[in-house]
Amino acid sequence: MSDFLIFSLTIAGIYAIMALGLNLQAGYAGLLNFGHIAFAGIGAYATGISTAAGYPAVAGAALGVLVAVALGWCVARLGRQLGADYWGIATLAIAEILRTVATNEDWLTGGAQGISAIAFPFGQLSKPWGALAFLALVLLLLAAVAAAGIRLADGRFGRALRLMREEPKLAACMGYDLRALKSRAIMAGAAATAIAGSLYAHYMSFVGPDYMLASETFMLWTMLMIGGMGNTVGVITGVVLVQAAYSLVPFAKDAFHFGSDLAGALRIGLIGLILLASLLWRSQGLIPEKLRKIP
Amino acid sequence: MFQFLIDTLVRTSDLALVALGLSLVYGLVKFPNIAHVQYAMLGAYFSYFLHAAGLPMALAILLSCAAVGLLTLVLHLLVFRRLLDAGPAITMIGSLALSMLMVALALGVFGSFPLMFKLPLSPAWQMGDVRIGHTQLYALATTAVLLTLFAALLFGTRTGRAMRALSSNRALAAASGLNAEHLTRLVNVCSGALAALGGSMLAITSGAHVNLGHDMLLPVFAAAILGGLGNPLGAVAGAFLIALTETVVTNLNVGWLFGKPVAFLPVAYISAASFLILLLALLLKPYGLFDREVRRV
Repeated sequence: MSDFLIFSLTIAGIYAIMALGLNLQAGYAGLLNFGHIAFAGIGAYATGISTAAGYPAVAGAALGVLVAVALGWCVARLGRQLGADYWGIATLAIAEILRTVATNEDWLTGGAQGISAIAFPFGQLSKPWGALAFLALVLLLLAAVAAAGIRLADGRFGRALRLMREEPKLAACMGYDLRALKSRAIMAGAAATAIAGSLYAHYMSFVGPDYMLASETFMLWTMLMIGGMGNTVGVITGVVLVQAAYSLVPFAKDAFHFGSDLAGALRIGLIGLILLASLLWRSQGLIPEKLRKIP
Repeated sequence: MFQFLIDTLVRTSDLALVALGLSLVYGLVKFPNIAHVQYAMLGAYFSYFLHAAGLPMALAILLSCAAVGLLTLVLHLLVFRRLLDAGPAITMIGSLALSMLMVALALGVFGSFPLMFKLPLSPAWQMGDVRIGHTQLYALATTAVLLTLFAALLFGTRTGRAMRALSSNRALAAASGLNAEHLTRLVNVCSGALAALGGSMLAITSGAHVNLGHDMLLPVFAAAILGGLGNPLGAVAGAFLIALTETVVTNLNVGWLFGKPVAFLPVAYISAASFLILLLALLLKPYGLFDREVRRV
């Protein structure tokens, strides 16, 4: 039981880092990134490929961050002249292209089989302590990302992003370079998410193209919408709620003897239902963003 | 060469009806409805079960279209109309949530195994070296007839003129006394029914399965965006272009690049081809190939 609890917490922590990365783009800057999971996939694959080639774990994570930031820059350049919803569809297409490439380029990514036997960083410790040490590492990184997120949001950069989201023309008039702001928000989010992807690959000892399914991005969006976009505490609340709902599915499966189809359906359906309900009745999320009102 | 054309047309008819409906609705409500492709999936399942219950094929598809059209209307009234107050981005995320719910429903109720229609086997038509299946021929003919009818409706009747007016300038159309809400409802029913028809015809060859909607999401969006969202006949042209590219990619012999006599691109990259067109379309012509207006973006 405690193993399952540690597992759920670790996964929730990793997803929280990804969600905070998305929050920087979607929450603060109002960018509809529907391909966010591609950054995590890049982090995971970079880790898988470089550890399989014999490099240390840190090198894999660093490579993942570099490639993800580069992709983030390209994606931001793409958004230069697109309307927000068109850009959202473009990001979705990019993520799907990357997933198709990962599924087919066997020589690099292992194809549909993925790359397995990625070393677990605390594998030499005895049974519960290895997992606990990894959980501590995840939580430490989560705290760092959250603190950086709060610091950014309250600083000049966060204010500029919010201004761009609410009144883009006013922001441009005040001398902000909107394209640079967007690029920086996306690149910062991409870096955090790539680290989370790398952690995920280490934790699962495996990376495969299924990590980059579009439904994963939609799950991150659900976490954001439930908890409250643009609010760090809200996002983490959303992550905990969604992960709790997810963790209940296996118990329900055992208790009511579902087939695996029904369990899968329950997972997707739960996310869809929670997302729709929170959009219809509480579009600000449970813990809304606090905006300073100037009377 | 002729076979190549037939393959392209068959693929076009798979995509055209769904893309047409998507574009049509976008013109009036101004948000890209991700759940639209799932209407096609639901339509395919309804047709399957009605057909399995003993109804003749045409009647089964007709009933399924009516049912999905009605469902589309209900969803518009209950969900999308409320969400639209919060802006197109929120509505798009809402359509995403609905799409996940529909997939979950289909997965939970019908399972993940594809359901094949029980049809008598008949040999494919053979004309010279061109082969085409009977069902494909019917699907092509149905699509062609419907598209002609639709074009006539759009450009020849008062309702069609009202639709075009509403999609090009909503405020002006409302000021001239058009009943926007009534038209929006009508268009929603039509688009749902068209999607169900497209999905059903696709399912006759490939079977009704859970990923039917998801598999066509990006090609259909690519087609609709290529034609310019809100321009229904443009979406049909976009579908043709996508189909053409996909067929070229599968049939192109790239052996000369590698110095081998025969080399084809892996089949799995077909879907990537349409994503790539989508990206290029967004980069170069974000408002579609047939956009004549100068617009601020």
